[in-house]
Amino acid sequence: MNDFSELEAELKKLRPRPMSPDLSARIEISLAQEAAGRGTATAGVLPKEQKRFRMNWMGLGLGLAAAATFLLLARVNVDRPSKSPGLALLTPAPLTPAAKAVNEFVPSALTQVVYDTKDEGLHYTNGSDEPMRRVRSRKRETVQWKNPQTGASLRVTYPKEEVTLIPVSGQ
Amino acid sequence: MENVVTHEENWKVCIAELGPGLVLFARQFVRSAADAEDIVQDAFVRFWRKQHSIENRGLLYATVRSVALDLLRRDARRARREATASADMEQTTEPQFNFDDGSQRELAAAIDRLPVEQREVLVMKIWNELTFAEIAEALGISQNTAASRYRYALAALKKNFVAHE
Repeated sequence: MNDFSELEAELKKLRPRPMSPDLSARIEISLAQEAAGRGTATAGVLPKEQKRFRMNWMGLGLGLAAAATFLLLARVNVDRPSKSPGLALLTPAPLTPAAKAVNEFVPSALTQVVYDTKDEGLHYTNGSDEPMRRVRSRKRETVQWKNPQTGASLRVTYPKEEVTLIPVSGQ
Repeated sequence: MENVVTHEENWKVCIAELGPGLVLFARQFVRSAADAEDIVQDAFVRFWRKQHSIENRGLLYATVRSVALDLLRRDARRARREATASADMEQTTEPQFNFDDGSQRELAAAIDRLPVEQREVLVMKIWNELTFAEIAEALGISQNTAASRYRYALAALKKNFVAHE
């Protein structure tokens, strides 16, 4: 009864243009930035935060106290340049000041998305008497290169895990 | 970490499967593929913020449409200022399809001439394989209206396509 079946078949033969290969990566980064910014569980399309978000109020209070102590200590230890403060760090920063019109790929941007940070407590390293606070960060880094002459760009995204030891001074 | 990898893989599969259809749908509102991809990217972020299930395709398309219409409203003033340039752009609209022959090119041109409300139903039905229920949800119309628009689109295409052959 459908007198459009031939036309429908012809329409289905039309192939939509494929989406650009970097769209998927762009969406991934956008959603990861959202996740890092909000610190909430997702609709099932991104890595869900695990048990951390099921903590009870006492755990939350202890966590906040630990975070406050951590920040305080990080400020006190001025002999070490402060790195990632925890939570989420987003640094879309240009790596080259002004792109020259050369026909080669030059680094143009670095994006870091920290999606998980865990304070692993105090540790004594290498027989040291001084305790060190160990902070483990899981992040996703994206490095982008651009050819200023042709406008072509290349983007590489990779997971990264970083362990930072922060000296703890007695007060 | 395994859990994380699994979710990321699911997400990538989801984008790979739905992405091209969503971009084609977004192209019904804008002239360039780049704008359409920006719309899809924004739509995914907005969809995610509302914590909707990725299984709800009607709502996903509704979100793409909403982002596209927001973009059009935002650009309306600028578009009026650039009316002359816009007339030129009309002729340089990027094609939405890859063509095997001249007949397909004619068919695509006939699709472009359809009213947008018919075109969007056609795109969701033919290339995204949404049901009329899902199309109705995406557009905020009844299923009967969705089905009618689809039939009107096919009828107009048949008429125009045959006329141009």
